[in-house]
Amino acid sequence: MLTNQMPTAVHATTVLDRTEPAPGIVLLGFYAPELAAVTRPGQFLMAIPPGGERTATALGIYEAQDHRVAVLFFVCGPRTRELAGLRAGDGLEVTGPLGNGFDLSGSPRDVAVVAGGIGIASLLLPVQALIASSARVRLYYGARSAALLVERDRFAAEGCEIYCATDDGSYGRRGFVTGLLAGAEPRPDLVLACGPTPMLRATAAACSALGIPAQLSLEETFACGVGGCWGCVVPIDRNSAQAPRFPGPDEGGSDTVNARVCKEGPVFWAHELRW
Amino acid sequence: MSGSQAAYAAVDLSVKLGTLELAYPTLMGSGCYGSGEEFAPFADPAKIGGVVLKSVTQRPRLGNRAPRLVATPSGMLNAIGLQNPGIDWYLEHDLAERVPRPWKTIGSVAGFSVDEYAYVTQRLAAQPEIDAIELNVSCPNVAAEGETFACDPKLTGRVVRLVRDTTEKTLIVKLSPNVTDIAAVAREAEDAGADALAVINTVRGMAIDVDTWRPRLGNVTGGLSGPAIRPIAVLAVYEVACAVKIPIVGQGGIETVTDALEFFLAGATAVSIGTANFIDPRIPERIVEGLRAYLGERGLLSIGQIVGQANRGFAGAHRCEGREG
Ligand SMILES: Cc1cc2nc3c(=O)[nH]c(=O)nc-3n(C[C@H](O)[C@H](O)[C@H](O)COP(=O)(O)OP(=O)(O)OC[C@H]3O[C@@H](n4cnc5c(N)ncnc54)[C@H](O)[C@@H]3O)c2cc1C
Ligand SMILES: Cc1cc2nc3c(=O)[nH]c(=O)nc-3n(C[C@H](O)[C@H](O)[C@H](O)COP(=O)(O)O)c2cc1C
Ligand code: FES
Repeated sequence: MLTNQMPTAVHATTVLDRTEPAPGIVLLGFYAPELAAVTRPGQFLMAIPPGGERTATALGIYEAQDHRVAVLFFVCGPRTRELAGLRAGDGLEVTGPLGNGFDLSGSPRDVAVVAGGIGIASLLLPVQALIASSARVRLYYGARSAALLVERDRFAAEGCEIYCATDDGSYGRRGFVTGLLAGAEPRPDLVLACGPTPMLRATAAACSALGIPAQLSLEETFACGVGGCWGCVVPIDRNSAQAPRFPGPDEGGSDTVNARVCKEGPVFWAHELRW
Repeated sequence: MSGSQAAYAAVDLSVKLGTLELAYPTLMGSGCYGSGEEFAPFADPAKIGGVVLKSVTQRPRLGNRAPRLVATPSGMLNAIGLQNPGIDWYLEHDLAERVPRPWKTIGSVAGFSVDEYAYVTQRLAAQPEIDAIELNVSCPNVAAEGETFACDPKLTGRVVRLVRDTTEKTLIVKLSPNVTDIAAVAREAEDAGADALAVINTVRGMAIDVDTWRPRLGNVTGGLSGPAIRPIAVLAVYEVACAVKIPIVGQGGIETVTDALEFFLAGATAVSIGTANFIDPRIPERIVEGLRAYLGERGLLSIGQIVGQANRGFAGAHRCEGREG
């Protein structure tokens, strides 16, 4: 993965726009030119609670262009409810960009992007970068129902092919998005995925069976989001370039080491995870 | 600068814990602030009294499996399980590569036997970068032994006595709230040679997922922190302040200057801020400014003037005896 060498800071921003692409899903754009300038695909930010909630909230950076950064989130609890209450003109402080993004350095030519639900929020920036480098991009997009397949038009406008699946069959194929991926012809040379953990595990298994390298953007409960509390770990191969430095088996350590999703991740190579 | 601001600037916020001199009475809680470097880009390092490093043990520890964190009403449960590379690696890598900062650096030592505490303390305290040692005899997240030290006054006394012989540096002993009589443990630690007491570590707790019927933490049980434990912590500081003469570092759910003031008034000489850094790493410096303004507005010259004031001058059932001045 590309390491985060960009200046990370607390940005005092102003909300520019707020829309609800589906009931319970909010798209919030804010004025943050410095953040937009340094964000790379797959990075996230921590939104400092604007109104008294208990901890900052990790959100993928959905859009980052010119002066505007946007997040796309599912309102599922107190913190996202508080953020959903923001309106144009309100202030919002965010810390970012954080984490290591997707590694697109191998000049992939044909990429499958797999999104589960709100996981779509971390995938627009890599799609834009890939299309800018003339790669073919197929988006495999799954959600519970048609209404939750938000921002499809946006991805289509970027120039990717879109294949959808819904749990209830209300749009696209009925069933899981990983089922679509397994049938992809010709085989992509790289898979990028973001979504709920069961979907990521299924994606990892499918890619392993097909022999395609995959990068997964994981989700864990965060506290600090900046690598200071070791609360957000996932076990990975200690020989991974992303493994935090830790004694090896000969020095009393072990073959696997717990990596921080917020610091070493959130994107990991599927074959290096030991979850 | 207006007259009142000039008066505020003259307010003395420095405190001493044993021989450790802090420019501000604020420490960053162990395990909540990494090595400090993770937060340095977002906070003003010149406005932090000290950073208590993540606890280190003799051998490397992988820590508990995920999930390690659960949000709870007004707080959070954690069960990190003391993930750390072990003292050898820690000294060779983590500490050796440390960036110099204006804050004081307090090493935190955890262990599973009396000898381990003494060994790790001796190694860590010998480093010039380390200004003081905090003994974490109260981690609730490791198999049985971990916390039993702080739950047993006699065992606490034994550990502290042995560790005391290994270093001249300030020794802070961190107490557990998960006991029936915290004052008894505090007295043992004082008698055994502790220079200061950190009160309190997290409160044991648990959360269950009603969809899966399983505990929500990989470790099943965890330690509760944040505002949920603040009243428990304030009382613990009050009781310990009545029982000992050495300074206390109050902690548990401090998010604002008002919260911090409660601890000073209960008898703490300094406070520690942990979980609040997860809301916003600028909270500690806001607390420092808030303390300055609070004292300045009242014409007080130093933070020491309010320490333990809630213990004075009333004759209620819990009137505090045995601690004057
Ligand atoms: C690196 C990273 C990037 C993220 N990016 C995004 C993003 O771009 N958009 C986004 O919407 N979320 C994103 N999340 C998830 C987001 O941080 C959490 O959903 C957050 O917990 C919401 O906080 P809350 O206080 O509103 O809800 P909580 O009180 O934390 O959660 C409320 C309830 O919802 C459940 N829950 C939590 N998350 C989800 C979910 N995603 N789907 C369904 N149920 C859930 C919880 O288990 C809980 O029962 C990201 C998380 C990480 C770690
Ligand atoms: C994620 C997390 C990790 C912690 N790790 C340690 C630790 O390694 N050693 C220790 O002595 N205390 C540890 N603590 C306890 C804190 O230092 C502090 O005493 C406690 O959380 C109460 O203060 P607070 O409510 O301000 O966080 C940890 C707390 C949290 C939330
Ligand atoms: S959330 Fe604190 S280390 Fe990742």
